[in-house]
This record gives sequence, structure tokens and C-alpha cells, in this order.
Amino acid sequence: MPRHLPPPPAAEPGRRAFARRLVGLLALPWCAAWALDKPSGPVVLTVSGKLRAPNAGAVAQFDMAMLEQLPQRSFSTRTPWYSQARKFTGPLLRDVLSACGAEGRTLRAVALNDYRVDLPFEDTQRYDVLLARLLDDQPMAVRDKGPLFIIYPFDTDPALRSPIFYGRSAWQLKSIEVL
Amino acid sequence: MAAEEHRGAVDAAAAPPALPRRLGLFGLLAVVLALVLAAVAVVQVRQFALLKHTVVYQDDYVVLGIYQVEAEYQRLREQWTRASLQPGGFDRDALQLRYDIWVSRVGLLHNERTARLMVGNADYAEPLRKMDAFIARADAALGHPDPKPVDAATLAALQPELDALGAPIHSMSLSASHHVSAQIAERNAAVRQHNQVGLLLTGFLSLLVLAFGLMALRQMRLLRERQRTLVDLTAHLREARQQAEAASDAKSVFLANMSHEIRTPFHGLLGMLSLLRDTGLNARQKDYLRTATESADHLLTILNDVLDMSLLESGRLTLSEEPLDLRDLLREVEALMRPQAQLKSLALHIDADPGVPEKVRADRTRVKQILFNLLNNAVKFSDRGVVVLDLHRATADDGSPVLEFVVTDTGIGMDEATLARLFRRFSQGDESRSRRHGGTGLGLEISRSLARLMGGDVTAKSVPGEGSSFTFRIPLNVVAPAPRPQQAAGSVAAGDGTDGLGLPAGPGPLRVLVAEDHPVNRQYMAALLEGMGHQPHFAGNGLEAVQAIREQRFDIVLMDLHMPVLDGVGATLSIRALPDSAAATVPIIALTADAFAQTRERCLMAGMNDFLAKPVSPERLSAMLRRLFGGAPTEPEPATGTAEPAAADATAALLDHATLDAALRAMPRERLAYLLRSFFEQGPDMVERLRVALRDGQALDLRVNAHAARGAALNFGLSALAQTAQALHEGATHVPAHEIARLIARYEQLLERSREACEAEGLLEALTE
Repeated sequence: MPRHLPPPPAAEPGRRAFARRLVGLLALPWCAAWALDKPSGPVVLTVSGKLRAPNAGAVAQFDMAMLEQLPQRSFSTRTPWYSQARKFTGPLLRDVLSACGAEGRTLRAVALNDYRVDLPFEDTQRYDVLLARLLDDQPMAVRDKGPLFIIYPFDTDPALRSPIFYGRSAWQLKSIEVL
Repeated sequence: MAAEEHRGAVDAAAAPPALPRRLGLFGLLAVVLALVLAAVAVVQVRQFALLKHTVVYQDDYVVLGIYQVEAEYQRLREQWTRASLQPGGFDRDALQLRYDIWVSRVGLLHNERTARLMVGNADYAEPLRKMDAFIARADAALGHPDPKPVDAATLAALQPELDALGAPIHSMSLSASHHVSAQIAERNAAVRQHNQVGLLLTGFLSLLVLAFGLMALRQMRLLRERQRTLVDLTAHLREARQQAEAASDAKSVFLANMSHEIRTPFHGLLGMLSLLRDTGLNARQKDYLRTATESADHLLTILNDVLDMSLLESGRLTLSEEPLDLRDLLREVEALMRPQAQLKSLALHIDADPGVPEKVRADRTRVKQILFNLLNNAVKFSDRGVVVLDLHRATADDGSPVLEFVVTDTGIGMDEATLARLFRRFSQGDESRSRRHGGTGLGLEISRSLARLMGGDVTAKSVPGEGSSFTFRIPLNVVAPAPRPQQAAGSVAAGDGTDGLGLPAGPGPLRVLVAEDHPVNRQYMAALLEGMGHQPHFAGNGLEAVQAIREQRFDIVLMDLHMPVLDGVGATLSIRALPDSAAATVPIIALTADAFAQTRERCLMAGMNDFLAKPVSPERLSAMLRRLFGGAPTEPEPATGTAEPAAADATAALLDHATLDAALRAMPRERLAYLLRSFFEQGPDMVERLRVALRDGQALDLRVNAHAARGAALNFGLSALAQTAQALHEGATHVPAHEIARLIARYEQLLERSREACEAEGLLEALTE
């Protein structure tokens, strides 16, 4: 590891934080060229707070199409909200965050009913946290906990099957504040 | 006494009666511990199950869900009321959002887990049914996926139904809250109970651990005490042993001193007894005297045994190892034992294996003492048959070479029990035996102790009624053979270097008185002395010797110790008591086969000057005379030949001229001729004896006779004859009879041919004496 590089911020200790910072540095020149598009349809997600690539003033706004354009992932997992395992599809939360150049320690997820929960930023790096927009390949209505649902891959790690992570899985997601 | 006390203490510590009780206590504690641990495990398993239940059912989340249904209901109702009051332009999207959120919340109540939690609860099922009914109706206006336009009137129409949901939803919320509270309380109670049980068990466990710790401490203390007691006891025992050893040593030293002190006056007593015999006693007195002498001899033997024993015990007996000529030793032993064996009409056969070296390092006196003891016993306990002393090389258990003397007899034998206590002090075969045969009972113990001191041992085997076999073995320390080979066995020692012609300048012609009762020995001594140029005179017994000294002047007296009428010691005492000082001071040399130190002592005490072991070898006689009368020391002569013909040489010459020349140097030609003629004359008798032995299957007799024949033939240099005799001797026990017969025939044939050869050489031609 080259020693002449500036040390990582004290707030983000560890190699991973450093690597992330490095990626951020490399990505900087592209930010201008690949600046986040403006939403063309109804805004379904608003990201605010510490952003390097906002597209609407200080915040980044996403419509469903923008989320669709990001790399899509899907997995089936059991959850407390459904009696059976269901298939969730959507971009990874970390891809959404990097699309708008979010950098911080905590994500504050806010739902349509003003439900609010804080996630450590690190969760998005450690786990493949999904910003699900499809349930069993169908768009989710508000009454089906849509349109966006933060889903952890509960079935991949026993540590995730706890009230803490169930609580962090905000549904009817409206906005994310990067702190 | 101290040791006694300590033994008591150790007994108490070593075998406490409380041991089983303590074991029981340990067992009880162990069982209780196991039970407590099992209970702890059960409590923990139950706690785990309880927590798992909580995680799975998430009652709290259900309650939160129901609260949120109520909250969203309130917000929807507010939005709804506002919309119905604004018939023209109400916010359709805001109402739709509120409605969808509420419906999604209600949907959660249909969740399987929530249903399971609230199952059978009327406060739950009824409101849910009502909400579902309302949603079904409202979905007509606000339902998915295709929301229709909604007007205020529709909303107003549904408003009462929406309002009517308020009370049931609230009561559902309350009920859920109560239900969950009750469940939490129940769970808390269970947890508390578990905690209490856990605490109790922990307390109990602590107590148990404490108890175990205390017991371990107690054990350690006990152990330490026992160890200390043992250390004390060991010290006391050591002290006691040292005291006992010191006392035993003191006793041994006292015994040694006493027996030595007793022996000195005792020798005087013995001398006086032998003098008394010549003082004209009548038959009765002579009988008394004989008994007294026998008792005295027996007493002397006992004294000697006791002295040896005490020396051995106090560790003051030291061995003086020196080069020892084994065959010479055997000759000496044979000379002393043969009369005893003959007295009981026993055949005595002493034989050394050809593999036994000429000389070894050993204590001559002590080896002889052991052999005498073993042979004495063999003779003592045999009434017929043979006593055999066989010497050969053997290998010890550890692989080192040893010399093995095996004394075998055909006597009364011993049973196992007798064998077992044979080597113990003062133990004799059995009571009847000891009465019959006498003895101190120390002999075998002394023999074994001596043998062990030499690094060897004495062991015994026996079959009652058939005889016994005692094996005496010592480590084999071979002394490199001298450059000049020694003469082999034989009654006629054809020594080299004592010939008057070949001898270095010795003392001039001496007048020698030989007191010797045995005619053959007289003849031999005459031959030797004349060969050296001296003038031998002979006396047949002690009395004649004293008489001769009175009448003539002699330069030296060679005195046999065992003679009829008056023995050597008695004669010496008489001579020393003569009034003529010249006669009384004549040098007297004892001649005896008995090489014991005590014999030597006895001789010296009686006034003898020195001691010559029988059979007298020319070298020793010559050396003795030179020592007394001066003369040049003997130079070792170059080897003139070997007495042992090469056994492997099948075509050995009939005559060995080297041996014959040596014999001729030792004695006059006519004497050798006489001896040779006697040998040949007795030849047919020997052949006859061999044949009888063969016919009767008496292998031992065959061996004995063949051995004798071989010895004689060797001395006369009749090599071929000697070789055949040796083959007979070696093969006597295992060669087939027809082969033995062939050997005997060959012997007979060789006898004749040897005689002819000697005749041809002119060896037999001298006239009779």
C-alpha cells in the first residue's frame, strides 16, 4: 500500500474505507461526464445529505426508470412480513448511493408513513442490500409495501435474522438522508 | 522402640478405617454435582427456547403493527373527512396514498404470525373482519390497479362506515396491548423464575466446589503428614539398621578374634596329644586318645569355619588372586581326596576339559577350600558309586566366560525342601543325616559366600536316592600361558630343568631324609633327589624319622604330614625337642597335598621351616633347596617339547622323543625302563578293564580308566597311545558301543606297537633294579 497517499479519514477506519475512498477519487473525473440524469417520471426516491453528485439542487432524485437503469439484482428470501420466501428484484442500495456520490456514516431511511430508521452506511458495503422495486417480478403498490423496499439478504447470514435488521428493512421507502 | 511407635503411626495413616466412608462422601458429592449441572443445563435450554419463541413470534412487532393500523386509520379518517368537505378540489393523490398505506397496514394483520399470536381473540377477529368489509367497499372507488374518479359524495357516503371502524380498531389495539403485556409479564415471570433457579443452582454449585476444595485440602494435608511420618520412619529404620549392623559387625569381629585366640592354644593341645600317643599307652588309653584327637580335629574344623564365617560377615575376608595352574590344583585336590574316597570304597574321578586354560587368576587357597568342601560332602553322603569333579568352561547368563567345577556324586541325594535350606546357616541336610555325618553346617554357606565374593556362585541340584550335583562357577580370568608349557597330569612328573646335568648350579650334594610311608612316593622322591645329585634316605613313619635324626646328621628333612605311627607334626615336635641342638635344628620341610593356610600354620607352629605342596615338582623342590642352601636361580629353559600331542594328528608318531628326553633327564635310564616295563605289563589288565566297562555299560568307569591310561601314556611320551586313550575318554559317554570297541582294539594294538617301538629304541633294556 503506497504510503504517500493521504491517509483515510479517521471516521472511516480500515482497508475497506480506504478502498472506497480510492474508488471515489478515481470516479471524480467521471462525475462531470456521467452526471446523474434528471428524473423524467414521478420521483420515487429522494437522496439528500452528503452527496457529490446531486441532480436537483442539493439532493438527488430518482424516478423508477433511473433505478431500472442501474444493474439489477434479485434474490429470494424469507421475511417476517410474508409467510413464504418471496423474490425481490432491484438495484443494490450501494449502487444507488454511489450513483449520486453519497458519502457518510449513516443512512436515514424515511417511509411514506414517516416511519424512520437509521442504517449504518457500512451495511450497504458488507451486505448485498437490495433496493427492491419488484416483488415476484411485479411492481409493488403502496398497499403492497411498495413502491420501494429495502431488503437485506436474510437467508445468506444468520446474523441478519434479527429484529435489528428486520427494523432496518424499511418499506414504502420515500427518501434517504446521508449523514 | 522408636521404630515400633512409628510403625503404629504409619498403620494409622496408611489404612484409616474412615476410607470407605470418605469414598462414599465423594460419591455422594459427585452425584449431587452431576444433578446440579444437569439442572443448570435444563434451565439454560428452557431459557434459550423462551428467547427463541420471542424472536420467532415478535409479539412486540405485532403490537406495533396494530398501533400503526390505528394511527394510519386516524390519518386516513382525517384526510377522508377533509376531502368529503371539499367537494370540488380535494387532493385525490394524498387520499389515495393514505388509503393505500392504511390498507397495507391492515394487510399485515393477515400475516400468518400475527394471526397465530392473536388466535381465538374476538377483539381481534371482529374488527379485522369489519376493516376487510370496508376495504372491499372502498376499493370500488379507490381500489387498484385502476383507480376510478372519485367524487366527494362517494366519500361522504362511505364516511359513516369509516367512522364506525374507530371504536373496534381502538379496542383491538387495546386488546393486543393487553394481550402482549400479559405475555410479556408471563415471560418475565418465567425468566425471573429461571433466574431464581439459576441463582439457587449457582449457589449450590459454589457450595459443592467449596466442599471439594476443602476435601482436596484435607487430602493434601493428610498426604503431607503421611509423607513426613514416612520420612521420620525411614530415618529411624536407617538408624536402627546401622545400629544392628554395627552390633553384628562387632560380634563378627569378636568371633574372629576369639576363634583366632582359641586356635593358638588349641594347636599346642593337638601337638601334645600327638606326643602323648608315643608314651607307651595301653590299648584303652590309646582308644581314649584317638577319640580325643578326633574330637580335637573336629573342633579345629569348626573353629576354622567360624573364623571364615565371621571374616566373611564382617567383610574383612580378602581374596588374594594370583596366577593359578588349574591342573596342578586338581592334582592337589585329588591327592587329598583320594584316600578319603578309598576309605569308603568310592571311585573318585577328577577331570579337566581340554578347553580349560592352563592358568587363570584366582585365589588358590579359597578355590581349593570350596572344592574340598564340595568333595568332602560328596564323599560323606555317598556310600557307594563314584564322586566326579569335572572342570570345564561355560558361559554365564550374561554371556561372560566362566569356569565351572561340577561335583557329582551317586549318594543319598536330597529332596526339594532340603535343597531349599541347604545354603542356610547351621542347616544340614536333615537331622538324621547330620547325626550320621556330623559337620558344622557352615561349610556350604562359606563356600557360597566365598564363591560370590569371587564373583561366582555355588548351586545345587539333586534327586533323592540318585545323588547330587553341586556347581561352583567363577569368572574366567585367563592368564596368558607362560612361554614354557607346563606338564600335564600324571603321577610321574617328567619336569624339565631339574636334571643334574642340565640344572644350573644348585646346592652341593645334600643328605636328605625323606619321611614318607607310601612306597611309590618314596620311589619318586628318590628318583627326583638322585637326579639332582643328592643322597636320599628314607623313613617309613614319623618315629623312624625321629630315630634316623638321632642317629645320623641330615642336611634337611622332607616330612610327609600323614604317616602311620607318628605323623609329620608329631615327629617335628619330637625332633625339635631333641637334646642335641644340631639335630633339633635341622630344617624340616612339610610335604602335603593340603595347601590350606591353616595346615601351613600348623606345620610352622610345630616348628617346621617350610612347606612343599604334593605332588612335588622338580622345579619347586629345586627352588626350595636353593632357597635354603643357596645356589644360582633357575633360568627358564627353552621349550623342549610339549606333553600334549596334537589331538587332530591321526597319524601321530608312536613315541614323542621330546617327552622321553625330558623324562630321561629327570631320572636314570634304568628307572624309566622299569617304569615303562611296568606300564606295558599292566597294559592287558587295562584293556581288560576297558572291555568290562564297555560290556557292563559303565560309561563312567570307562572314562576313569581311559583317563588314567592317557595320563600314563602322556608321561612316557607314548603319543599315539595317549591319543587313543583320550578319544576313549572323550567318547565314553556318547560314542556308539561298536566305535568304543574299535577304539579299545586300537588301544590294544597300539600298546603292542608302542612296546615294540620302545624296545627298538632300547628303552626297555636296562636290567631290573
